[in-house]
Amino acid sequence: MALALFLRSSARLQALPNLSRCVQFAPSSTSRPFSHLVQQLNKNPISATKSKVNVIATRGMSADHSKLWPIEKAVSIALLGLVPASIITPNPILDNLLAVAVVAHFHWGLEACVIDYIRPIIFGPVIPKLALGLLYLVSAATLGGLLYYNHNCIGIGCTAF
Amino acid sequence: MALIFRLSGKRFGQQMLITDKSGLFNFVRPVTLKAKPALSEKEEGHDERNMRLKRPQSPHLTIYAPQLTSMLSITHRFTGMALSAYAIALGLGAVVLPESIPHYIEELECAEIGSSCISAIKFILAFPITYHFWNGIRHLLWDAGKFLTIREVYITGYVMLALAISSAIALSAM
Ligand code: HEM
Repeated sequence: MALALFLRSSARLQALPNLSRCVQFAPSSTSRPFSHLVQQLNKNPISATKSKVNVIATRGMSADHSKLWPIEKAVSIALLGLVPASIITPNPILDNLLAVAVVAHFHWGLEACVIDYIRPIIFGPVIPKLALGLLYLVSAATLGGLLYYNHNCIGIGCTAF
Repeated sequence: MALIFRLSGKRFGQQMLITDKSGLFNFVRPVTLKAKPALSEKEEGHDERNMRLKRPQSPHLTIYAPQLTSMLSITHRFTGMALSAYAIALGLGAVVLPESIPHYIEELECAEIGSSCISAIKFILAFPITYHFWNGIRHLLWDAGKFLTIREVYITGYVMLALAISSAIALSAM
């Protein structure tokens, strides 16, 4: 880091025309390791820039979301068909699919709400974790309850009428 | 590295003093750069920073004019939470309640509360799903990169509202 800073500032110094005319440290013995280092830095520009960015502000929220996102959208699209279908033609298969899709969907939805509103900066480090844990518990229990309802009672589709 | 520079600087300065005949360079001193580790930026999150700067919450809800865009957006979240509450109530109720769910529905239908009251209850149950359904389509279209200009957002917003209200009325009339 320090080296990079140093090299950069010395490069700037060299860029000044007056100085560069004066500064001719061309003795080959000293200039070789110097240029060698510069080349190494240039060869790997990403690591060079990385070292400049010390802190990428972390929001402390969700982790990498790029893989889950398409799945969430697929479930939403599935719901788009499942909700009307299981109301119009109620049957156990649709009811069970709907139960799984709805629970997955509202779990992710409520997770976003919990993360947005029950933030560590407001509630401290413990409560947000408890809230998320509670959400997992409620979602799992609801899935169980809905499946139970589908198997032992009239099912979700019929209830909607 | 710094050492090399300092050393070369010294030698260099001496050279100048020797070669310079005008005497101008007597005032010029070789510059020595000292390498220092760069100070890292303060590790601070978005919220921490705004709190430190005593900024009001954004959007500043108490002074910010309600707009169709923001109102429809928060309503989507609200209806999503309402639907979740219904689903959780149904799922847990099916297991926990002493009687079966259809039993309670029947009781409600037989109770003498008037058909308009029944329709009102049905509307309260139906509107969140119709709203969330139609607005969910709007969200998915946005996710596909469509209808994203302000004009289109407003048009789809009004269309969605009309569809949501009319289908909720239709469902609660059944
Ligand atoms: C009928 C078909 C449905 C569709 C097409 C749909 C679509 C969506 C979409 C696209 C979102 C994401 C909004 C965003 O990007 O911020 C969302 C959020 C959500 N949905 Fe649904 N949904 C449906 C049904 C349901 C049901 C039945 C429930 C509850 C049982 C539900 C609960 C939620 C919740 C809690 C959220 C999170 C709200 C938020 O983060 O702002 N949805 N829905």
